[in-house]
Amino acid sequence: MNAAVALGIVALVVVGTVLFGLRGVRGVVMDPQEYIVGGRRMGALLLWLLLAGEIYTTFTFLGAAGWAYGKGAPAYYILCYGTIAYVISFFLAPAIHRIARERGMLTGPDFFTDRYGSRPLGALVALLGFLMLVPYVTLQLTGLQILLQIAGFGTINPLAAVAIGFFVVAIFTFVTGLRGAAFASIIKDALVLLGVMFAGLVLPAHFFGSPAGALDAVLRDHPNWLTIAGPSAPNGITWVVTTTILTACGFFMWPQSMAAIYSARNEDTLRRNAIFLPFYQVMLLLVFFAGFTALEVIPGLQGAAADQSFMLVVQKYYPAWVVGGVAAAGTLAALIPASAQLLAAASIVGKNVFADYGLVRDAAAETRTTRILVLVVALLAFAFWALARTTLVGLLLIGYNGITQLFPGVVLGVMSRRPPAIAVGSGIVAGLIVLVYFAAMQQGQVAGINTGLVALAVNAAVLGVVAAVPRRGSVGAMRDEGPSTSSG
Amino acid sequence: MPPRVTAVVCAAIPVLALTLGVVLANWLEPRILGLPFVLAWIVAWVLLTPAFMWVAYRSRTS
Repeated sequence: MNAAVALGIVALVVVGTVLFGLRGVRGVVMDPQEYIVGGRRMGALLLWLLLAGEIYTTFTFLGAAGWAYGKGAPAYYILCYGTIAYVISFFLAPAIHRIARERGMLTGPDFFTDRYGSRPLGALVALLGFLMLVPYVTLQLTGLQILLQIAGFGTINPLAAVAIGFFVVAIFTFVTGLRGAAFASIIKDALVLLGVMFAGLVLPAHFFGSPAGALDAVLRDHPNWLTIAGPSAPNGITWVVTTTILTACGFFMWPQSMAAIYSARNEDTLRRNAIFLPFYQVMLLLVFFAGFTALEVIPGLQGAAADQSFMLVVQKYYPAWVVGGVAAAGTLAALIPASAQLLAAASIVGKNVFADYGLVRDAAAETRTTRILVLVVALLAFAFWALARTTLVGLLLIGYNGITQLFPGVVLGVMSRRPPAIAVGSGIVAGLIVLVYFAAMQQGQVAGINTGLVALAVNAAVLGVVAAVPRRGSVGAMRDEGPSTSSG
Repeated sequence: MPPRVTAVVCAAIPVLALTLGVVLANWLEPRILGLPFVLAWIVAWVLLTPAFMWVAYRSRTS
């Protein structure tokens, strides 16, 4: 009975949101422009929702609470990095948008192909983005599994539930493209906000009188939990600062974030977005409260189980319809970003590998290929989830570390004088080699420093050295390889 | 100051506050509205960032 009520609410909300998203694209003819970047005429509000919709995912809803539960103060970095990322985007995003519009770019890797006049560099960036998105989509699936398991009160097969939920999204993305995802974000954000307010305000008030009361309780049992540990400690202050810097740089490097930047109506829309998006971050404070409350109410969850923290509290102490409502919010937080991520992974390979190398003939064939690739990525991520979900956290860290390696190339790419493609490519490859080495060593930090930032430093150094080496004939080679030469 | 410089300075302040500032503010006491000082510091700067960026925005367009 409990399961029927809770799952019924989840199903109702998902179906309703999909129908709402479909309404948003009624009568829109799908060409690659429209499908991938929403026709480049998203206004401030829709874009704000789209950006927020991609940023506030299962990781925010469950992961941030799980970190507050499992690690404590290091979770604060999540509040910092998003805010810094918006500050960076205030300067970077309008420049990217202007260039993308002038040159008719559709995908993140297009930026590299065009600005460095190198099709292989674009393909390298596309394959990197594709690889890094698979574990990210898998993260959403894991969140989905947690939510459906809790809403099912142990009565349903999570594999079947995740399969159904996920293929609803894959088909939704297949049909609507970016604009549908943006419309669906409207409902998602409203529900997530309600869910987070419940978890972050009502839960602590219920058990401890107020959020401050929950913090007092945490401090009684764990006096050091709410302050960050020393410079050389694991996840200490050095780690928090370096991880903040690393992830702030990586934030807008995801292909779906680049597509969101392209989809803006104009540069000013992006600046105004950058100003106001930090207000959205405050929601994370409530998520931390939820995690801290769960730590005191149901202590003892280890490792990945911490991600279930406040949902288990809701399941244990609240009626089924509340469980269903909160799980529905979380389900949308998994499904909508997953749809944007699927689209991004598919479109970069469709465009920068298939179309750029002449494997598809025209725009209609390209849209068709992108749609098929959406399903391919969905299947890959699903297989990845079913086979290898235990190592997900490690792989996700590699994902963020990996995508940040694009940062030097994007920043230098908006300049009028740019290094040669070979320098940018060498930097990216060098950064990835460092990351693979640390991953093989199972090392996430060196002397407290996040290894991703070490890789980024190596990337930048290699880029600088290769760019400084004088070359003969390389300029001609670059021109031959590129589909178009750019002038800055 | 030229508009470009104003914008960069306005942007640099919250960025420094949320990186190096966190190192200096990493204390439990005094607690503010029940929050540990370091968390209150971070939340305050997250809320102040739009104000700084607004000034940066105005300085570029005016």
